Amino acid sequence: MNTNVPLLELRGISKQFPGIKALDNVSFGVYPGEVHMLVGENGAGKSTLMKVLCGAYNADEGEYFYQGEKVDIQSPADARRFGIAVIFQEFSLVPYLSIAQNIFLGREFPGKIPGMIDHTGMHREAKKLLDLLGLDISTKTLVHDLGVAQQQMVEIAKALSQQARILVMDEPTAALSDRETERLFAMIRQLQVEGVAIVYISHRMAEVFAMGDRITVLRDGKKISSLMPGEATPDELVHLMVGRNVDRSYARNFCQTEGAIILEVKDLHSANGVNGVSLMVRSGEIVGLSGLVGAGRTEVARAIFGADKVTAGTIFLHGKKHSGGPDKAVSAGIALVPESRKAEGLALIRSICDNLMLPSLPLTFPNRIYKAARARQIASELIQRLRISTPSSQRPVRLLSGGNQQKVVIGKWLGSESRLFIIDEPTRGIDVGAKAEVFALIDLLVQQGAGVLMISSELSEVVQICDRSYVMRDGRIAGHLSREQLTEANILKMGVHDE
Amino acid sequence: MNDSSIKIMKSPAFGASISRVPGVAWILGLLIAGFALANHDFLSSPNLLNIGLQSVILLLLALPMTLIIMTEGVDISIGALLTLASVVLAWVLDHEGSLMLALGASLLTGLVFGVVNGVLVALLKMPPFVVTLGTMGVVEGLALLLTEGQSIVVRNDALHAVYAGSIGGIPQTLLIGAVAYAVTHWLLYQTRFGTYVFALGGNPEALKLAGVRVNFYLIAVYAFGGLMAGLAALILTSRMSSGHPTAAIGMEFDAIAAVVVGGTSFEHGNGWLFGTLLGVLAVGALRNGLNLLTVPSSVQVSCIGLLVIVALLIDSFKGKK
Repeated sequence: MNTNVPLLELRGISKQFPGIKALDNVSFGVYPGEVHMLVGENGAGKSTLMKVLCGAYNADEGEYFYQGEKVDIQSPADARRFGIAVIFQEFSLVPYLSIAQNIFLGREFPGKIPGMIDHTGMHREAKKLLDLLGLDISTKTLVHDLGVAQQQMVEIAKALSQQARILVMDEPTAALSDRETERLFAMIRQLQVEGVAIVYISHRMAEVFAMGDRITVLRDGKKISSLMPGEATPDELVHLMVGRNVDRSYARNFCQTEGAIILEVKDLHSANGVNGVSLMVRSGEIVGLSGLVGAGRTEVARAIFGADKVTAGTIFLHGKKHSGGPDKAVSAGIALVPESRKAEGLALIRSICDNLMLPSLPLTFPNRIYKAARARQIASELIQRLRISTPSSQRPVRLLSGGNQQKVVIGKWLGSESRLFIIDEPTRGIDVGAKAEVFALIDLLVQQGAGVLMISSELSEVVQICDRSYVMRDGRIAGHLSREQLTEANILKMGVHDE
Repeated sequence: MNDSSIKIMKSPAFGASISRVPGVAWILGLLIAGFALANHDFLSSPNLLNIGLQSVILLLLALPMTLIIMTEGVDISIGALLTLASVVLAWVLDHEGSLMLALGASLLTGLVFGVVNGVLVALLKMPPFVVTLGTMGVVEGLALLLTEGQSIVVRNDALHAVYAGSIGGIPQTLLIGAVAYAVTHWLLYQTRFGTYVFALGGNPEALKLAGVRVNFYLIAVYAFGGLMAGLAALILTSRMSSGHPTAAIGMEFDAIAAVVVGGTSFEHGNGWLFGTLLGVLAVGALRNGLNLLTVPSSVQVSCIGLLVIVALLIDSFKGKK
């Protein structure tokens, strides 16, 4: 095999999604026996590139080369033919089948009678794979009974069983213990010797430098740099990932005075993976909750709001101890603006008026009789104030643009008595112009004396709009950054595994 | 213990489901104990045999129902389908006189409507409940149309022998039930088809990515349900010596109840075939016991409903532990 030619090479790949250029003329290759690290902050285009690589997405522009020859990869089936196997973060396992059945799903060993399965043979081969990975567990165990780390190992075994020539791993160690990580690395090294090319996406600096033969940095869909581990320090790599482009679309006057404490959380644990979070939000400030996707930010919001069970720790609202479900949270003045506004934040088929009025109905109509004319009047005032572009307050919300929908989701709380807003990814999927207006709206909330806890994956917007920020990692608060310390590089340094 | 039953004992499905045995087994035990105390005839061997015989038809419906529910689907047309197949069987036997031909017609009837169900669910992505609700109406109507609302009475020795006859002292009906169970068990735990049934409910996306023809197998599951309804029609018609246009209407209720009581879940492909067998016996024992106590059949339906709720309660308590 010629090791001077990349086993697989992508040239000039571009991929456009509505409103965003996810990949912009990216070239990327991987040689036999090489571990090629792919790094970049949230939304840099790593996952998109990976999906293009394995045929799940079709690129708008660009070419594939396999061992120097131009080829066509249009589907996952095409990719498999070239020996490309992917270990996704979302598991592709069937819960009530055994480990062996999962590893060989769709490729069952034929038994004596057509259609029958040779269970004995399958368990034997599966056992070999598990031994290779150092997983000491019966291949007859149901996947349902496995922990996340073990499921990850089964996923890896599944990819290995496909005799992959090119193995793509998306943060494979995210769920693994140190010992399991060591096993995985040992296995990767062995695969390298066998000439397998490995594309490895990671946020953990230690493993990027320990395992990588080459590191490619993506930022905003562009390839920023491709370098050898010796050519940069972890700090320099972080700087390459974040760049210097700061968004100036909205400039706010940061909070100068210290307001009263609205929310205080002490050592919060939840059933959904929050592992000891303490934080505080004061009146008049926007507090960021940043960190990488999967760090547990949304889970913190859900725990505070009472949507997930709190297993330990205390929540204080205005100095008083708070507990209970979402109904208690709402009556205590907490508003949650969820990440998926269509699914959780809006009644899509109802009018703008209905949506805007929903949280403030008890306040507007204290004797419980709904007056349509009054509601319409209030809604129209709000629509003007929020600058929602619509011909009428009676228009169904589903016909609005993403930006206008988001204004409805946040703006509906203006008329209510809520004092604490937890806003999850406020600018997801909305364009730049609308972004500034959403920021202005959040600003308006805090000017009225509310406190805002803003969850965002966009580092630049945390830096742009937050008075200060907590950074999360693995369900914990990894650190706190004051206004002066708040830069993209600092967030990323805290958010990635840097030890 | 022969080789294949050792395999069953060691199979993963068996190991994981052993923790569920108490749920349905307790219910079955309590029912038997309760009825035995209330009525001395309950535990007599003729009555126990009777429970077995009466349960076979239900078993033939509950077996495929387990697979269908495992795919996160349901088939509420299965009782009506059994009725239509029975009417068809009686009609063909009455006109042609050949039991084999009549059975073929019955199986074909079941298969056709099972495939129709499957195609609508798999290819047109329609909700199984709605699809089979529609089929149920169509099939019920057809049964009435074919019989003009009357029973088709058949005097045929071969037909009569199916229910009445026995081989080596064991009633043929029980043998049919045993073979049907064994075949379904083999299908579910020893073949590709069975593996894909688990995956259809557990993670259909993974199955698709593995290159499996997902729709084909989903259709096959519903087709299997129709086929078994066609087979059950043989026993039903033989027992009644006639095809009656409302004979098994509503039997899907008992079948779904038996599956759920047996511990199969409507989610994630979590199914257990042996549990279904126990569930069928529980429903059968309940029906029989209430009959002996001359409880009206309307109240029996309520009792079966209660049985389902109690079974789910037991499971949810165990889940919390």
